[in-house]
Amino acid sequence: MRSAALPLICALVVLSARAPLAQEGHPLSGTWSGDWGAGPAKRTHVTMVMVWDGTSITGTINPGPDAIVVPAIALDVTTWTVRFEADAKDGRIAVEGRIDDIAATHRTIAGSWRQGSAKGDFKLTRD
Amino acid sequence: MQYVGTAFRRTGTLILAAIVIAVATLHGQRPASATYDSERQIRLEGSITRIDWVNPRAFVFIDVRDASGTVANWAIDIGNPIELERRQWKRSSVRIGDVVVVQGTPTRGPARQALARSVMLKTSRKPLFTAPVPRAAAARRAPTPRWPDGQVRLGPPPGQKGYWGPASAKALVESSAASVRMNDDGLLADLSDADRIAPFQPWSKAVYLHRQRTLLKDDPIAHCMPPGGPRQFMSPNGFQFVEQREVGRVLVLLGGGNRNWRVIYTDGRPQGQAAEAVLTFYGTSVGRWEKDALVVDSIGYNERFWFSNGGLPHTEALHLTERFSRPDFDTLKYEVTVDDPRTYTRPWKGGWDVQWVPGEEIEEYFCEENAEATFVR
Repeated sequence: MRSAALPLICALVVLSARAPLAQEGHPLSGTWSGDWGAGPAKRTHVTMVMVWDGTSITGTINPGPDAIVVPAIALDVTTWTVRFEADAKDGRIAVEGRIDDIAATHRTIAGSWRQGSAKGDFKLTRD
Repeated sequence: MQYVGTAFRRTGTLILAAIVIAVATLHGQRPASATYDSERQIRLEGSITRIDWVNPRAFVFIDVRDASGTVANWAIDIGNPIELERRQWKRSSVRIGDVVVVQGTPTRGPARQALARSVMLKTSRKPLFTAPVPRAAAARRAPTPRWPDGQVRLGPPPGQKGYWGPASAKALVESSAASVRMNDDGLLADLSDADRIAPFQPWSKAVYLHRQRTLLKDDPIAHCMPPGGPRQFMSPNGFQFVEQREVGRVLVLLGGGNRNWRVIYTDGRPQGQAAEAVLTFYGTSVGRWEKDALVVDSIGYNERFWFSNGGLPHTEALHLTERFSRPDFDTLKYEVTVDDPRTYTRPWKGGWDVQWVPGEEIEEYFCEENAEATFVR
């Protein structure tokens, strides 16, 4: 029992001691995941990849066969506000949110979401 | 603010002889600015309750009694234990129960912790410890050492010891703005000088200012991440070149951080494609000699480090061209061109001189990130 528990304890100690990592590169670059919807019971999972090429930020919502292209993402660095719109088959998506704690690797963007006539909130966390 | 500790019976006379030591640096792995408030000074007096002789920072803990009679335990940061030992401070230099007077800098937060500027035994009034003063620049100007074929040596000549130590700059700054005022961690005295540091894009300036305003608290080096890019040549713990000419490479051995090394290939291989590079802290480097200068081209950097003190941002597009020359025995001239079009509006240059430390081996310093846990209070 003791010998079986020891490796587990060691593993937990190692995992708990893992250093927090700081912000990397451009604050929006990378893969983000989360959800949006009109309320707590109506959530849609979202994966979003954002890319900074030096002049503009673009994105892809739910990469794969049903991917939605986001041609331009606006970032206001004075307030860390993010805005983008994209055309989806269920209606045009419009999102506005704010990056929370840009220094964190797993930072979040949260704010308002609208698609067609539906509106609500969203939250994405950088993977 | 002054704290006067409990008068405490001195337990012996073994430490009567003063040991004045010079510790190489106030830099820890964590930027001192993030932890300590250099605008404030503090005097503490109390008896030692514990000695933590641990890397990367050694601490003594003392019980301090304030004016109301309340006793509180303070952690006193006295620096890296390996450096302390090199300068004759031993773990046995103080004992539990000794009463000491500490002059130092308190933390920015509420933690009862201070960075020692001096530690003195109360009874003898003799200093046990004083904070270091920067090394004086070498007075001599001996000629540049060379290999038999005339090529400049970047390391020590045969039969000699030495390594590259203190850098003349505190942070990488564009050459045209070398007079920007900052502290040893690269923290600007005036944030409006940010535009003089580098030609930032709007987002990178905002990130840089965020790092500055938060006193560099998120510096990856505080978590033992390697000092990639130019920062490796401003490490307070020095570095060394090992020129392996027979296999066409130069190793850069780093004294600080987690004691990494970097490889610069000088065998004529071409630089790889950035898009295919495995991204690392030190990138992939190829070098060639141009007369008396080693010119090194590096790509393939990850984004998980700050490439200079002070918190300069970068992306995976970072491309560095470094130029190493040795105008005399004791001086290494380091120049770097930073080209990261995703972060800066144009390529820009900076650099500094590094001083040779003769007759010594590269300093030992291991980042174990354990001091933080030691004094969470």
